[in-house]
Amino acid sequence: MIKSTFENIKISGITCAVPTTKEILLEKYAPLFGKETVQKFSNMTGVVSRHIALKEQTASDLAYAAAKKLVEYKNIERSSIGILIFVTQTPDYRIPSTACVLHHRLGLSKDCVAFDINLGCSGYVYGLQTILSLMHSSNIKKGLLLVGDTSNKGIAPEDKSSCMLFGDAGAATLLEKSPGSPNIHTAMRTDGNGYKAIIIPAGAYRNIDASKKMTLWGDGNFRSDYDLYMNGTDVFNFSISEAPKLINEFMIEENTSVDDYDMLILHQANEFILKQLMKRTKFPKEKTPISMDRYGNTSVTSIPLTLADKYGNHFDDGMKNILMCGFGVGLSWGVVSAKINTGDILPIIETNDYFTGGNVAHD
Amino acid sequence: MTNREKLALLENMLELEEGELNEEIKLSELENWNSMAKLSLIVLMDDEFGKKLSGEQIRRFETIKDILNFME
Repeated sequence: MIKSTFENIKISGITCAVPTTKEILLEKYAPLFGKETVQKFSNMTGVVSRHIALKEQTASDLAYAAAKKLVEYKNIERSSIGILIFVTQTPDYRIPSTACVLHHRLGLSKDCVAFDINLGCSGYVYGLQTILSLMHSSNIKKGLLLVGDTSNKGIAPEDKSSCMLFGDAGAATLLEKSPGSPNIHTAMRTDGNGYKAIIIPAGAYRNIDASKKMTLWGDGNFRSDYDLYMNGTDVFNFSISEAPKLINEFMIEENTSVDDYDMLILHQANEFILKQLMKRTKFPKEKTPISMDRYGNTSVTSIPLTLADKYGNHFDDGMKNILMCGFGVGLSWGVVSAKINTGDILPIIETNDYFTGGNVAHD
Repeated sequence: MTNREKLALLENMLELEEGELNEEIKLSELENWNSMAKLSLIVLMDDEFGKKLSGEQIRRFETIKDILNFME
């Protein structure tokens, strides 16, 4: 495993945003697939409802709403932010990096680094490791890790393997240099052999002549090459073996046990997978909160969203030792442990705002 | 493990009564053989037999007997 330790930097704020539009699976899909099919899907995956972005609303709009709220709440001087990383697989444009659009919208200074990372389920861990590394090796004092996905925009409307699973969401995490902060530890792995396990094959430059026509795939679902394909069994096999293995190895390496952590926040992949992970890491369900019943699988945002769902309403504030694990598309996975003052985690925002300055101008 | 014991594991997994399954039953005719059952079988193979079961292997299973043979 690739292991990193960061001193003197803390996570000093987390805000999440979801679209206002909430969709209850049974209401929308029972007429399409039958009540029993939808009920069975909910029983296995845990998803009962989720929030869906408007057609005009992008992942960056959700991340922007979260970032704006966080910067205002923490009363942060915008000129003091030296880095903005945006982790997404649903960017605004093919070119440029959406991080640059967010840098503009947030009014950050030129003395700032901004770029995107293309990762999904593991992206929060990878994003934290990257921003911490860059802060550690530079004079940057404050950084914004923005994440978000509107996965539903890339899914065929009647693809039973994924059309009911995902939710749209975005999040902002503030990192600050702070001498004496408890160390943050990360561990990461990649297995590129599984790059086809979760894929949208067309829309970039490999399959440039791909047809937009929907065809019947081997798994019995209609989709075009521009839609998400997910090999459920391969992803399941990967998730229940590699994620708990990394968590367990990480705890051995850190010389810690389940008792040392207040919470294990898991990427909300599918509740059946989460149950396997709890069993295989021996974390009790009281320490492994679930948010996907109301938000679905929100890709890169599912870790901060689950934190905000758990702590955002401030019933249980204090310094908590949190273990987080993201795993999925890539295939890519990682864990991070950090002590977070849960008073710095804000309630989840609902918004239907979107940026109107980003349209194409043919001048 | 005897075949009866293996069948009992599968009956339990598929939420069937004891004795409902036999080796000759075709998976395509089994109502409970859905995506949830396939994922549960992956877990069962790993937990009980320490065996990795791929999606491709699952697609090759035609009868209950094929699953029992894989358990060996």
